Amino acid sequence: MSAAPSSASPASLAASSKGNDGLAAMLGAGVLAAVRSAAELYSVFARTLYYTFRGRRERGAVVRQMYEIGNRSVVFLSVTMGCIGMILVYQAGLQTKRVVPDFTLIGATYLELLVRDLAASIGSLMLATRVGAGIAAEIGSMVVTEQVDALRMCAADPIDYLLVPRFKASMIMTVVLIVWSGTVAFVAGGITAWVAFDVPARTFWNISLLDWGDLITGFVKCLAYGATIPIVSGHAGLSTFGGSEGVGWATTRAVVNSSLAIIMLNLFISATAFVVFPK
Amino acid sequence: MSIRFVNVVKSFGPKTVLQGVSFEVPAGEVFFIIGASGVGKSVLIKHLVGLMAPDDGEVWLDGEEISRWTERQMFPVRMKCAMVFQHSTLFDSMTCVENVALPLRKHRGMSLEDSLAEARRRLEIVQMGAFGDAYPAALGDGMKKRVAIARALTLDPKYVLFDEPTTSLDPVSARRVDELIARLSRELGVTSVVVSHDLVSIFSIAHRIVMLYRGHVRMIGTPDDFRATTDGVVQQFIHGRAEGPMEL
Repeated sequence: MSAAPSSASPASLAASSKGNDGLAAMLGAGVLAAVRSAAELYSVFARTLYYTFRGRRERGAVVRQMYEIGNRSVVFLSVTMGCIGMILVYQAGLQTKRVVPDFTLIGATYLELLVRDLAASIGSLMLATRVGAGIAAEIGSMVVTEQVDALRMCAADPIDYLLVPRFKASMIMTVVLIVWSGTVAFVAGGITAWVAFDVPARTFWNISLLDWGDLITGFVKCLAYGATIPIVSGHAGLSTFGGSEGVGWATTRAVVNSSLAIIMLNLFISATAFVVFPK
Repeated sequence: MSIRFVNVVKSFGPKTVLQGVSFEVPAGEVFFIIGASGVGKSVLIKHLVGLMAPDDGEVWLDGEEISRWTERQMFPVRMKCAMVFQHSTLFDSMTCVENVALPLRKHRGMSLEDSLAEARRRLEIVQMGAFGDAYPAALGDGMKKRVAIARALTLDPKYVLFDEPTTSLDPVSARRVDELIARLSRELGVTSVVVSHDLVSIFSIAHRIVMLYRGHVRMIGTPDDFRATTDGVVQQFIHGRAEGPMEL
């Protein structure tokens, strides 16, 4: 009886083993790079916190950044949140009309959703695109033109000098912008409800479903996202290498990673809030 | 009081740029580091002020081994060892006078007003007093370089590292920078380590020269030693010949 021919020759087995090794090496390198990046991010966060309380104050630096992050984002955020508010209320109204044609709680439900989650999450995602990209591009350009090295030569830690003013400004202005743009979204939603479904403003303005848990959750999210955007974007900027192409990659990385961090934080904070403040 | 590199090794990814570089620079010298582009000259001088750390080897400054010092430990080193970067690297968001004042505020803790007054005085010395309130974007390369030199000298350092100080300057500005470097050594005893490709500078003001080639020290000596050597690689480099034994 002849032996069945092996389906894999030694050469193909060797090639397959080599392929597996290559895949393992690639995966291993990816994991190592991710761990290294996470460690660097943590280091940037820890040093930012340290210098926030112990660093040297630069006159006017935080105010300048508050203007850059806050004032220059007002129109962008108002328009996007207003449009999203209108779409959400219109869609919710259509569903309500189909199932229970009673609009008495549409405003209350919408307000709860806005305060607890949507205003902070969507507003911060919008901010990540504008503010995060700006921070990464500015710091990244300084890295590739050696201005960050020049700062270090002047005894100015780049984290203290560049990141801390942006961190403080972002923490303050994210809260302010989210409150403002959330209000815009609510008013836009109210107008939509009135125009499309004849819901009176007095019915729409209903805070009966809102409680302290919603307010605290929304506020914690604002602070967390306000801290996340400059840290993640600053880290992307500081780890820039190469020339203008490197700055481009840093900017992309800042927006993608900030958005990802916001979505993951949203899941974590929301889950914790549902345990701490059960509905 | 000197600078000493001992078997310094530095890699970037798979490429080992410095493969065991050793030499010493005594105090007061104008010392040039030469070599082809990408050979690691700028990388080497950045080790001296902690902007880079070697993978292996030692960097000594004034009798102390500094290569593993922390960022904070490097602050005093950066007070006595200033650096003029290749592209001047003035801070875009600051005026010239604010650029020069920054080391005074950060290193010496001077008040904003005092540091600005001192910075204006420093700018006058490099004939840039009239441009104190201008932003770097409004200046030409030569003017930026002078402001960068004023910023580097504002703390009265014992050592100054110049990274291609005459690159992109017109010949007159370049010779003025050469004269300034020579004067710093002659009158103030400042040790200057100069990375340069500028053959006129090298052979007019250098006390000694080291040539790096393929990650190693190829030759170290006075300008006369370099002129007299029979090493084909060195001869090709210092005469700027396209043909020869030098591998890029």
